[in-house]
Amino acid sequence: MDGTGGTLGNGTGGRASTPATGGAAPAAAPERRLLRGLPWLVWRRHRTALSIGLLVTLGACALFAYERIGVMDFLDAKGSSPDAKGELLMEFQDKFNSMFSSDTSFLQFVPALVAIFFGAPLIASEQEHGTVKLVATQSTGRGRWIAATLGLPLAIAVLCTVLLSAAFTWLWSPARELAMFGDWLGGGAFESTGPVLVAMTLFLTSCGIAFGMLIKRVVAAMVATAVFSAATSLIWTEKVRVHLGTLRNYTYPFDGEGPVTPRGSIQIDDWLATADGKLFGINTCTSPEATADACRAKLGIVNRVIQYLDYPQMAGMQWLGAGILLALTVLVLGFVLWQAHRRPL
Amino acid sequence: MSDPSPWAIEADGLGKQYRRGWALRDCSFRLPAGHICALVGPNGAGKSTFLGAATRLVQPTTGTLRLFGVPVSDPAVLERVSFLAQDKPLYPRFTVAETLRLGRELNPRWDQALAERIVRSGNVPLTARIGTLSGGQRTRVAFALAFGKRPDLLLLDEPMSDLDPLARHEMSGLLMAEAAEHGTTVLMSSHMLSEIEDMCDYLIVLAEGQLRMAGQTDVLVPAHMLVTGVAVDGGVPEELRSRHTLVEARVTGRQFSALVRPQGPLSDSWEAMSPSMEEVLLAYLRSPDAPTLISDEARFDGNRETAA
Repeated sequence: MDGTGGTLGNGTGGRASTPATGGAAPAAAPERRLLRGLPWLVWRRHRTALSIGLLVTLGACALFAYERIGVMDFLDAKGSSPDAKGELLMEFQDKFNSMFSSDTSFLQFVPALVAIFFGAPLIASEQEHGTVKLVATQSTGRGRWIAATLGLPLAIAVLCTVLLSAAFTWLWSPARELAMFGDWLGGGAFESTGPVLVAMTLFLTSCGIAFGMLIKRVVAAMVATAVFSAATSLIWTEKVRVHLGTLRNYTYPFDGEGPVTPRGSIQIDDWLATADGKLFGINTCTSPEATADACRAKLGIVNRVIQYLDYPQMAGMQWLGAGILLALTVLVLGFVLWQAHRRPL
Repeated sequence: MSDPSPWAIEADGLGKQYRRGWALRDCSFRLPAGHICALVGPNGAGKSTFLGAATRLVQPTTGTLRLFGVPVSDPAVLERVSFLAQDKPLYPRFTVAETLRLGRELNPRWDQALAERIVRSGNVPLTARIGTLSGGQRTRVAFALAFGKRPDLLLLDEPMSDLDPLARHEMSGLLMAEAAEHGTTVLMSSHMLSEIEDMCDYLIVLAEGQLRMAGQTDVLVPAHMLVTGVAVDGGVPEELRSRHTLVEARVTGRQFSALVRPQGPLSDSWEAMSPSMEEVLLAYLRSPDAPTLISDEARFDGNRETAA
């Protein structure tokens, strides 16, 4: 083993020193020769945080796998589609609702946690403690340093979020019509499955890195990243998410039977409509009640319209959203690289 | 490029402007390789800015800087230059051995045996974390990192300022010995005039961002005379002012004393003494308006013109 370590070792410099180093160093030198140069430095600097990230990921994946056993037992015994009366839906919620909601709220916090506790201090702490002067004056150029500093942690973030997302998707998809009352959009599944978790983590983390680089103070950068993450989350849920898909219209007579949208659809909006499809707000002609019929007759309202997003759109919406986030990530990282290359940090 | 440049540093019109003004302005000189050079000046004179420009930590606003004939903007310079910043930044959670490994991983010319010798001679355990070391031990590790890189040029920003006298003595001995052994050019900024007198054979004096003096100490110091005599009308005699270059003058009672650069024989009516390096430096630091003195060897523009 020692021979192998030595051959893989650092050429003449490392070898020549071995006889002089005495007791402690030769034992330490051959270990983890897998990582060399800048990647070694980046790993050594962040090994605690990166190890915690990997361990939490593995733990969560194991938990999801364990939870899946119970879910599958339930589904095998009672079926995976809600019945007309909703009894199965309620029974599923009794057993699994708190589990699914804590899982999704954990996963929805992952991007912000990574951004605040890992992204923001990544460069800011080097600037705050002056160690950027130390690394920038070694023989490796600034460009290679910034590439390694960004590349290794972001690669590990991608690995962890891909695993988390895959494991949770595996847990959620058999029960998707029951979990979170079948609400795949607002219930948290949209952000916790597929590519969105990965893309959101990359986007917020690179923004955190950029804030850190510009603010140069760890705590201030963390606060800025936290505020930015909250704002992003709000904009994402309120303004962006719904527009990623195409709204489908379901039209039925004003006095007719209740809507029968495809299973797994998410109802977004209600309208009143004329025969030729002109839409009115749902509160049109509601008061005074006495004249409501006359009012509707005057406007020609004969139908009700429901706008909804059907489940087959979900994957497409997720990839579109992830694509937007990844494009923004590329812009932010490009800015960070350009800034670091253009002038000293 | 195959012919190595004899000049460790060539600065041509180097300047750096910050929002609050010029930190360094129109700085032109050159430093031949193999010298131990002191960079002297009051706080805010531009010493750290100059060292920053030489280590690519500061982007100059004007002018160019070449190290061993290579423009400082070329990353190839990094291998040949070591920099020890004033606060000696090291990763506090790294052990000493890991800190040396950092040097080994990032520098192709790394000399592990040399770095370990420097650390061991100070009885710094390799397994200790940097955060637990004393100031002197930290400085020693930082020195080991700087020397282990085997630089051709070593830039030190007030390397001894936070050391006790014993550690300071040890470090300056180490610096002299290592520089002599490897022929390293050293440029160190310092406030310790006595230390400079012992160690350095080249001087660069900055004041208010401008170059005041540059050259070999054995040329610069003997170019000055400390003159004392009877004051005329409560001031320095006009003859001294007009015929010689006056650096600094003081009048005490009926006596004047002045540091001058004689431009010819001095009048017999005054008493002239050779000043020490410390006296010359103090005079230049006290009078930022004194005329600039750059020795022929250190003059950048002049020699280039003759060469051309």
